[in-house]
Amino acid sequence: MNVLTSRWLPHTIFALAAFATPLVFSGNRYFAFIVGITLLSVLWATGMNLLYGYTGLMPLMFAGIAGISAYVTIGLSAAGWSFWLAMLVGSIAASLVGIVLGLPSLRLRGFYFTLCSLVIQSVITLAFVYFVNLTNGDVGISHIPLPELPGGGQLTGTSYELVLAALTVIGVVVLTLLVESGFGHRLIAIREDDGLAETLGINVTRQRLAAFFIASLFASIGGALYAPYVGFVSPRSFDVLVSLNIWLMVAFGGRGTIWGPVVGAVILAPLPFLLQDYYMIKDVVYGLLIIGVIVLLPAGIVGGWKRKAAAGEPAPDVAQKTAPAR
Amino acid sequence: MGSGSDPGLRLDQVITKPARGCRRRAFLPAVIARMSDATIIILLSMITTGLMLGMIFSLVAVGVTIIYGSIWMPNAANGQFFLLAALLLWSASVSWGLHPALAALIIIGLSVPFSYALEILLIRRFYDVPNRNISYFVLSLGITQILAGIFSITYGIWSDQFQLPPLVGGLTMLGPFPMVNNRLAAMLIAALLLVALFTLLRYHRYGRALRAVFQNREAAALRGVDVRAVYRMSFMLGNAVVFAGGVLFACAYSFDFSIAWTMAITAFAIMIIGGPGSVLGALVIGMVFGLTQAAVSIFASPTIAAFSYLGAMLVILLFRPSGLFAR
Amino acid sequence: MTLLDAKLVSMRFGGVVALSDVNVHQEAGETLGVIGPNGSGKTTLVNVITGHLTPQNGAVLFDGAPLLGRKPFQIAAAGLTRTYQSVRVFSELTTRENIATALLDAPRPLPSDGVAETAEWLGLTPRFDARAGSLTLYEQRRLEILMRLVQQPKLLMLDEPVGGLSSAEVRATINLLSELKARCTIFVIEHTMKVIRELADRVIVLVAGEKIADGPPAEILSDQRVIEKYLGSVDA
Repeated sequence: MNVLTSRWLPHTIFALAAFATPLVFSGNRYFAFIVGITLLSVLWATGMNLLYGYTGLMPLMFAGIAGISAYVTIGLSAAGWSFWLAMLVGSIAASLVGIVLGLPSLRLRGFYFTLCSLVIQSVITLAFVYFVNLTNGDVGISHIPLPELPGGGQLTGTSYELVLAALTVIGVVVLTLLVESGFGHRLIAIREDDGLAETLGINVTRQRLAAFFIASLFASIGGALYAPYVGFVSPRSFDVLVSLNIWLMVAFGGRGTIWGPVVGAVILAPLPFLLQDYYMIKDVVYGLLIIGVIVLLPAGIVGGWKRKAAAGEPAPDVAQKTAPAR
Repeated sequence: MGSGSDPGLRLDQVITKPARGCRRRAFLPAVIARMSDATIIILLSMITTGLMLGMIFSLVAVGVTIIYGSIWMPNAANGQFFLLAALLLWSASVSWGLHPALAALIIIGLSVPFSYALEILLIRRFYDVPNRNISYFVLSLGITQILAGIFSITYGIWSDQFQLPPLVGGLTMLGPFPMVNNRLAAMLIAALLLVALFTLLRYHRYGRALRAVFQNREAAALRGVDVRAVYRMSFMLGNAVVFAGGVLFACAYSFDFSIAWTMAITAFAIMIIGGPGSVLGALVIGMVFGLTQAAVSIFASPTIAAFSYLGAMLVILLFRPSGLFAR
Repeated sequence: MTLLDAKLVSMRFGGVVALSDVNVHQEAGETLGVIGPNGSGKTTLVNVITGHLTPQNGAVLFDGAPLLGRKPFQIAAAGLTRTYQSVRVFSELTTRENIATALLDAPRPLPSDGVAETAEWLGLTPRFDARAGSLTLYEQRRLEILMRLVQQPKLLMLDEPVGGLSSAEVRATINLLSELKARCTIFVIEHTMKVIRELADRVIVLVAGEKIADGPPAEILSDQRVIEKYLGSVDA
């Protein structure tokens, strides 16, 4: 397979960049950390893209699921489990919880689903605060066990970033394979017009459920890895604002495209760090970005560019009569 | 002490002759006669708080449901608008010394050009877009963020907690229960506003036009209703009502920033449970929420109350999305 | 052989009665026409049969199997499909992608040479890579039909298939539909009587949710009651 001409060229470039960047910044922990967070955000944005970009559902409880996985993983590894096993269990548990909570709402469409997911996210955040025995409540957890390495020692610093890079690249590849498969085509049909999709024989609820589960896996694996990397978690780390931030990366970058959310995450994830001096206006900036995306850039950066590139004849007035074909 | 519904029955007759199969009418005065003053105070406190909260909830929920029912915009920023009105009233009376009543009117009045500006800049462009409710919802989340950010760098620097001087001073005694006149005044004004709103929507020409647009905008347009004008007016009216709620709340209670988020969730819960677009639903469920909150906060923590609102909203969303009072 | 058998179907929306004890019977190979004034419940009937609405009362059998309570995608899998009164295709996808979507979960998908041949017959091959939303109304209606045909349904319910078309296009569609009869059984709702007269073997008349007549087209179209309640106001 000739990489340069195959459709996996962008992925190869991305993989090279993903692995190279942490190495480039390995001398400066501050920038390396930003790179790590950005990689994690790409993973999350890719997961949310499956639901928002390809299925047309806006899941505001995404961060909540990541949080459940994080707390479960912390709990299990603090109890002596291997981090990797804990992550496996935590991710699956969180995804299953996501399904249980989300399943009834999958019948809802559009805004009602979003509202439902907002409610579920609020319930999850409230639960995080309320069950202080399990989560330490608003105080948060700071001594988070680092993942262990097979040869002994702990995963930290640049190696952690490389692991994040690997998972992120795998995530993007997985999304690409899914989107180009029959499953992906069904999701796109559901996104475009779920009633019509169902009339054509597609089991809309089952496909949404599958998409939901897979997206939850992205959320939960990311969540499990986030905790030891950042070193501190609290209910605020996984609240609705975090879900909104990830959504913004997808919408800003271009939902429904593979690379849009990657671009969106790469641009938006470092912002809070680079704008640290201006943290006071952070909310205002995010609010403006959200409004900007909705009003000016509904297809996102990459989406808008693709649309321009593919501009064909404009749609004629539907009532216009033309000579019959036969 | 409480009065029985049968004036002919004297209290001592009831207490000294507790017959089997005691008539129900006689039971209540007996119960009340047996209650201590402390219990009555708690009960009346609960009822008055419940009514006050209920009316404010209803006001805000009506505002939100009008906007959702007409232009299909779920306004998640309603909590921040509520807070904005309250904060402005605080500034007006504490910093500038205006009488709260006057300031309140000015603030509600100012909400109209504010809504108009928002409508022209952001809201109008989506009127004919299908599935605009999601775009509007996210848009309103953006507005929420902007306002929250502005508040934290302005008011947030000045204070954590905000309290206004009372509209009217003094106390009125309801039996053994001292009712703060300030709250009484706020309650009366809220009640008047709700009645006025209800009358407007049911009997006035605008109200009929609004309901026609709620149900079917094409049919309404065919009947000569200027749909875009109705949209504009609904947006302005709905927000004005939310502002009114915020202003009244500030008169009656001290507050902090958390009321924005709490009110937003509550208003949405009320709207969804009552039925999006149903003003009657918003009124009734709003009162139910107010009374429930007053009752529950005596027995349980606010977190439990929040859980139960969210739970109720979920149940309705999943099993009866059109709400309890759907047309 | 009875293909579709609906008995005593009643549907209410709040206080409004949309369908009242409607009976519909269709044999395999028999083209059934459904006519009636606007709002008489024709589309509601299709929505009930295809699982988009749950009626308060009634039983529907398709090919011997009960339909009520099943989801639309299951009913499609059983070989029953429908088109929409306002043409409905995936407008942001290309024609080719629309067809591919129809093939995804088709009960008996047509093999690719069959698909190409049918697309050719419907005159859609030159438009394969165009965005479906950019097709003319007539082309979109043909695409709608193509998407159903590649699934090889047993029963195809058409909801006003010639709505909005010019008279030449109507003529072409009538020819198309009569050739379609060989492939599947057709149930057609229409306002344009020409279509009914030329295609239908039997006609049902719905007025205000009730079936007021059921018989061969010649008989129905000259029935006094039908003319009074409906035909007087329609172009034939």
